[in-house]
Amino acid sequence: MSYIEFKNVCKEYKMGEITIKALNDTNFQIEKGELVVIVGPSGAGKTTALNILGGMDTATSGKVLVDGREVTKLKNKALIGYRREDIGFVFQFYNLVQNLTAKENVELATQICKDSLNPEEVLKKVGLENRMNNFPSQLSGGEQQRVAIARAIAKNPKLLLCDEPTGALDYKTGKQILKLLQDTARRENMTVLIITHNGAISPMADKVIHFKNGTAEKIEINENPKPVEDIEW
Amino acid sequence: MKKALMKDSFKEIKNTYKRFLSILLMAFLGVGFFAGIRATSPDMIDTIDKYYKEQNVYDIQVVSTLGLTNEDITEISKIQGVEKVTGTYEIDGKIEIDDKETITKVIEIGDANIPKLLEGRLPENKNECVIESNFLSSNNRKIGDTIEVNIEKTKNDEGEEIEYLNQKELKIVGTVESPLYISRDRGNSSLGAGKVNYYLYINKDNINAKDVFTNIYIKVKDANKYQTSSAKYEDLIEETKVKVEDIKEEREKARQEQLIESATKKLEEAETEFNNEKQNAEKQIAEAEAKIADGKTKIEKAEAEVNKNEETANKEFKNAEKKINEGKAQISKNETEFAKKESEANKEFENLENQKNELQENLSKVEAGLNTVNENYKKILEALSNPNLSEEQRELLEKQKQQLENEKIGLEQNKKSLTEGINKIEQGIVEGKLQLEEGKKQLETAKTKLNNEEASFKKTKTSTLAKIEDAKKKIQTSKEKIAKGEQELTKQKQEAEEKLSEAEEKLIDAKDEISKIEMPKWYVLDRNENSGYASFIQDTKSIKNIGIVFPAVFFIVATLISLTSMTRMVEEERTQIGTLKALGYSKLQIASKYIIYASLASIIGGILGMCVGFVLLPKIIWMMYEMMYQIGDISLNFDWIYGTIGLGLIFGCIVGATIYSLIKELKETPATLMRPKSPKMGKRVLLERVTFIWKRLSFSRKVTIRNIFRYKKRFLMTIIGILGCTSLILAGFGLKDSISSIMPSQYEKVFDYDMQISLKSGLNESQFEEIVNKLKEQEQITKIVKTYMTTSKITNGELEEDVQIIVPEEKETLEGIINIKDIKTKETVTLNDNEICLTDKVAELLKVKQGDTIKLKDSEGNEKEAKIGNIVENYIYHYVYMSKELYQPLYGKDYETNVLLTQNIDLNEEQEDSLATDIMKEKQVSAVSLTSTSIKMMDDTMKSLNYVVVILIVSAGLLAFVVLYNLSNVNISERIRELATIKVLGFYDREVYDYITRETVLLTLIGIAIGLLGGYFLNYFIIGTCEINMLRFSKIINPLSYVYSILITIGFTLIVNFVTYFALKKIDMIESLKSVE
Repeated sequence: MSYIEFKNVCKEYKMGEITIKALNDTNFQIEKGELVVIVGPSGAGKTTALNILGGMDTATSGKVLVDGREVTKLKNKALIGYRREDIGFVFQFYNLVQNLTAKENVELATQICKDSLNPEEVLKKVGLENRMNNFPSQLSGGEQQRVAIARAIAKNPKLLLCDEPTGALDYKTGKQILKLLQDTARRENMTVLIITHNGAISPMADKVIHFKNGTAEKIEINENPKPVEDIEW
Repeated sequence: MKKALMKDSFKEIKNTYKRFLSILLMAFLGVGFFAGIRATSPDMIDTIDKYYKEQNVYDIQVVSTLGLTNEDITEISKIQGVEKVTGTYEIDGKIEIDDKETITKVIEIGDANIPKLLEGRLPENKNECVIESNFLSSNNRKIGDTIEVNIEKTKNDEGEEIEYLNQKELKIVGTVESPLYISRDRGNSSLGAGKVNYYLYINKDNINAKDVFTNIYIKVKDANKYQTSSAKYEDLIEETKVKVEDIKEEREKARQEQLIESATKKLEEAETEFNNEKQNAEKQIAEAEAKIADGKTKIEKAEAEVNKNEETANKEFKNAEKKINEGKAQISKNETEFAKKESEANKEFENLENQKNELQENLSKVEAGLNTVNENYKKILEALSNPNLSEEQRELLEKQKQQLENEKIGLEQNKKSLTEGINKIEQGIVEGKLQLEEGKKQLETAKTKLNNEEASFKKTKTSTLAKIEDAKKKIQTSKEKIAKGEQELTKQKQEAEEKLSEAEEKLIDAKDEISKIEMPKWYVLDRNENSGYASFIQDTKSIKNIGIVFPAVFFIVATLISLTSMTRMVEEERTQIGTLKALGYSKLQIASKYIIYASLASIIGGILGMCVGFVLLPKIIWMMYEMMYQIGDISLNFDWIYGTIGLGLIFGCIVGATIYSLIKELKETPATLMRPKSPKMGKRVLLERVTFIWKRLSFSRKVTIRNIFRYKKRFLMTIIGILGCTSLILAGFGLKDSISSIMPSQYEKVFDYDMQISLKSGLNESQFEEIVNKLKEQEQITKIVKTYMTTSKITNGELEEDVQIIVPEEKETLEGIINIKDIKTKETVTLNDNEICLTDKVAELLKVKQGDTIKLKDSEGNEKEAKIGNIVENYIYHYVYMSKELYQPLYGKDYETNVLLTQNIDLNEEQEDSLATDIMKEKQVSAVSLTSTSIKMMDDTMKSLNYVVVILIVSAGLLAFVVLYNLSNVNISERIRELATIKVLGFYDREVYDYITRETVLLTLIGIAIGLLGGYFLNYFIIGTCEINMLRFSKIINPLSYVYSILITIGFTLIVNFVTYFALKKIDMIESLKSVE
């Protein structure tokens, strides 16, 4: 059994009279420690899948299993607990708390987890040892995303979910962030999922899941993922 | 305006209905409260105005100490500006029900002050009455029952005692409300325990004592054109009142003269009658005396005759007696002669006798000699017979015998001549004696004859005398009769005199009374002197004052809230604004959407608020006041002015706030606008510099603190909201505390007497002593203090206030009964001989201080200057205390006790009442007032302010709720990404809630702290505006009130937090994180 399994997952949104199927019978598996890139055009259901996996949304039907646990069956509080302990999230717009310094933003996450890492060490790892006491507004976009990543990995999660982490960043910074994610996955043996609409970065992944029309249309496995530095787009 | 934009506006409302509603609610509350509270006071005044107009309530009332006459009415009618003058009869009566005595005002139903019929019908004839419904419920009576009203007999103008009513058994035919007694206070009475309990109305026909009216009610021309208590109304009334007062003196004099005249006339009549009677009596007596005198003369005459007769008779008797006596004298002369003769004869006889005796003696001598001879003879014979005899002897003897025989013969011869002489003598004697006898016999006959004559005379005399005696006796009886008559006459005389003197005394008394007919006193009163009306108007003023403070707070808060809401909205729609700007819409067009939004919210909310406010608030407040005033239903008015002002204000505030927040955004270029607004920079707060504190704070606390300082506007808003809420609540409670502390302050701290007994004026020393001693004997009374009290005006030259002057008989006795304490030093002040003590409220009103000189004006308008020694503590009404030693020279009058203050042992209500009733029965007592009754009455008045407090608290709570709810909404919407993020991070609902509410709680605490301070000052302010002239509110806030305020504020915060909890739970992480708007 795989570390993560999506089994016939469907997600429907009701907008008034119309029912929109965001996910339509999606199936895929991810192994522990894999760096997975999910690609597809806008509206293909990538984010929905990620949200369901991250416990931020619930599936209409189907099963999602993470480390043998059926996430789709979790109720409110357990679902929060799941998010709390098992999931690290990185958003496109970083979603840092503006009123907290870099370190405090990380602390915000670590203080609620049992096996959290030392915030300062994590920040060092993401290369922000000198900006720890800066507020988000005093940091560049890349730096902010690093803080976000640090916040996510400091929780020591089972899964690191990144939704368009480079979407708001320029090429170079984006690349650095992707590298950080790749490194983290390799170094910490962390399962990382990156959503992107940019298929060009797929080579960095162990597995690439192609989304189209609300379902995982194609799953590729890269036997030899490329380091990010080597990828150009 | 473009159609699309219009559509957008309405869609916006639909989408952000919560925000719309919250603005609408603020407008609703703001306008509602403003309009509602502002309208309440006018509504209340309008209600009483309509009620008074409908019931034709007087504008000016005249009462007099000696009643009012038809002439008074005529004179008043002549005054310019007077429309109608009505005289009525109002008097206090007793009704006894189940051994309980109640005092009832008995009022004649007339054209003025018509009672409002509640049930049944008005009385149609003299044995019917209508009564207030309270009476029925409290005494378990119903319509159709009969009650007996006892009214003291009264004197008519002729001074005769007459019944006041024709019929005292009255059938209750209905219940009414009297416009004269809209509050529970029915006034004082000289009967019973001194308070009027109820009122009842009777038909005019039932009035028997119709000589004088008790009240005159005046309707002023055009007064009905104005609203009662309005400035115009008051001016008009004052104008007329002055005119009525102008004729006051003249009418008072006229009434006095009338009374004196009628009394004098009556006196004169009585005098004439008295004189007539006196004359009559005198005449009768004189006649009787004449008769007696006549009788006496007759008797005298008769007596004289009798006497004369007696005299004549006596004379005759004397003559007769004389004759008889002469006769007797003759007789006695004869007798004497005879006796002489007799004695001569007797002498002769004696001589003869003597001769005879001599002869006899001789005879006896002879006889003796004879005897001796015989004896000798015999002896001789014997001796002769003796044979033995010698012859010698014999011879001798014989010789002797011879001798003897010779002798014997001689002797015998002698004897014979002697016997012859004797016989001769004896014969002479017999002869003489015979002669004598004959003389005697003759004498005797004459005597007898005389005696007979005398006897017959005597007989005649006796009978004559008897006759005279008889006549005398008759005279005597007549005399006796006359004496009796005389006696009776004197008795009658005495009686008549007594009667006359009595009558005379009465006359003198009557004269005295005439001289005592005092100048009646007119009281010209307007509606403000009706206690119910006055307190009602005062209450409307209090509400009006509160209506100023209150809505102001609401408006401020509403403005701030809409400012935050609209700013937030505009900020949220930055991109859209930018887009529209880029599309070429003008600033105004863009702004119009938000202005429409805000306008709609404020206008709809405002109109709704007006509708509800104009109806609900006055109704609610009325409901509370209804318990105290009987006026009927409130007349609700849609007050366009207040409505428009309120609406305009809220519209201005909200739309102004919108425009304010728009201006900032609209200045920016489209490009800037379309980019997401750079989030507010995180900042270190000052507290972080204080590392030793900061280090100690937990992570979440640091976050909280930093957040608080980050959103300064919200921080301020929340604090202001909470502050407002807490301070309003505290002010409310504070008001309640102040109000409820008045009574204990006045009646425990200052006045500590239990009973105030007013004495009638003009008591003499013994009457006074009597009542004092009687009270002293009462076991229930422990202390009595004698004082003189009078009302007076006090002035500083410009302002004038009414005060009560209290002068103790001995200044030391006041302590413990009335505690005079200096307002500043709080030390007990002893009265001195040249300064007065003035209570502090009046000192404040007159703007005078210790050491200043003020003027006291008595009822005659004399002004007396006095120096203020101390300003002293007092809470109800105004007082001036001065010592007797100051009073007497100042007023040039002698001190005279007219009020006794007593301290009693602990008594329950019933015992107190019965004690008061007992004392009231004393003839020297004019009124008894119990402190407990005053407290109760004041308490009732105070209760009305308590309702205001309730309104304060409820609305403050409502305000707090709206503010907190709104802010919490803004807070959530402003920080929704942040909240979504932490939710994604795995914060439990509770943790998310804490994350947010920790700030609210902290702000609430700060708000409460400042609010308590604010409340303290607000309370100060409200008390300042609400304080009635006659009262001194103590500005105390009970510690418990602080606790309540805190708890209530916290309570509201908790409610809001509870709502927030669910709002937070509902935050959709996905939606919030999708993109930056």
